[in-house]
Amino acid sequence: MQTLTDNALMLKVKSGDIQKLGLLYERHKKRLFGFFYNMNSDAALSEDLVQNVFMRMLKYKHTFTGEGSFAAWMFSMARNISYDYFKKNKKQNSDYQISTVEYKLDDGTNTEEAVMRKEELKTLKKAMHKMDPDKREVLVLSKFKELKFSEIGKIIGCSEGAAKVKAHRALKELRTIYLQIESA
Amino acid sequence: MEKEEFEIKVIDYIRGDINEEDKATFEQYLKRNPKQQLELGELAKLWSHTNEMAVPEPSQQMDVQFFEKLNAEVAKKEVSENRSPEGFLSKLKFLWSPQFAYSIILLGIGLSIGYFLNSDEMDTQQVTSVASNNETKEVRERLVLTLLEQPSANKRLQGVSEANKFDKADKIVIKALLQTLNRDSNVNVRLAAIESLTNYVENPQVRQGLVQSIPNQESPIIQVTLANLMAALQEKKSIAPFKKLLQNQQLDTTVKKKIESTIQSII
Repeated sequence: MQTLTDNALMLKVKSGDIQKLGLLYERHKKRLFGFFYNMNSDAALSEDLVQNVFMRMLKYKHTFTGEGSFAAWMFSMARNISYDYFKKNKKQNSDYQISTVEYKLDDGTNTEEAVMRKEELKTLKKAMHKMDPDKREVLVLSKFKELKFSEIGKIIGCSEGAAKVKAHRALKELRTIYLQIESA
Repeated sequence: MEKEEFEIKVIDYIRGDINEEDKATFEQYLKRNPKQQLELGELAKLWSHTNEMAVPEPSQQMDVQFFEKLNAEVAKKEVSENRSPEGFLSKLKFLWSPQFAYSIILLGIGLSIGYFLNSDEMDTQQVTSVASNNETKEVRERLVLTLLEQPSANKRLQGVSEANKFDKADKIVIKALLQTLNRDSNVNVRLAAIESLTNYVENPQVRQGLVQSIPNQESPIIQVTLANLMAALQEKKSIAPFKKLLQNQQLDTTVKKKIESTIQSII
């Protein structure tokens, strides 16, 4: 059986059927949560911000035209919300505590290799959070397969090519910071 | 290859956004430029490394809070739509304009043409609408189940009231309501569950569940409610569990009398 596309659902929300926002929430909550979590490493805060995005969608539903993809529109809002948060809480973010972050180990064993892997991921996470939020953001967005670079460009306000160059440079910077932490 | 062109190609390559032909050309280029090949290798490794960084699952609390907010917005919208009859009448003023008459005629013609030319598409739209309604039902079911598991009695009450919004509840929701009736620590929540279940008394699973819950109930108010319900339904299967309940020495005298009269009325 066919299901409504995200754009069709959002147009229904726009026309007054606001219950349909629940379906969009179910479809995208994990992805959005992932975006915020990668930006701030705080699960409780990320949950609040996910809700803020959907409430903002209701408030600004009239701005949705249905021309671009819903995901791009949603991530533009998420980006603004994340940006507002970073602006308001500059100090807290600079005091980022690595001990609050949990890490995944694939096999759950405690072999030397697994411990090393865990350490590497810890360093990578640290490096991610030492990056400039703008650079971290383009990197996080480019990890979402359903977002085309033309859409990422629209979200961050540049051309498709410029967005790819930014993503490349962000990845390179991540590598530099990673190596710096490792050798320290 | 220019620096920026290389940077763009690297991102396309590691993200898998490159077609076979371009990929082969790029790989040929890399073979001729080992320094850039090394750079690509290191960046690709880091890229796949970032996939392993764990992201926890959002909690059920997030769903509960979101749907609370959404329901509040829906209620607010309904209230504002129902309010102010003057506002509603002013909206109807356009009915008197001549443009409206022309619009109706044009709409009629349009609809007739559309009906004959486009009946297939209408079927598709109906199917889509049904699918969307099913999806809404699934979301609401999940919400009910999540709310019924919350530690706060208020949230569980909200879950029961959400369950009342179904025209036809399915097995999972009914099972969850019966579990609430048997296990919930709060009398008000159990009472609300009985009230909700009375909407589906024609369902044998519900009747059986209600009858089976009789011996489990210790609260006098629940016992009386169930006795009233069984008397109204004339449910003969409830006599045995009620008799079992009467054997309980600690049974409240008023409740005892009520159950005895219920048994009499059913017989």
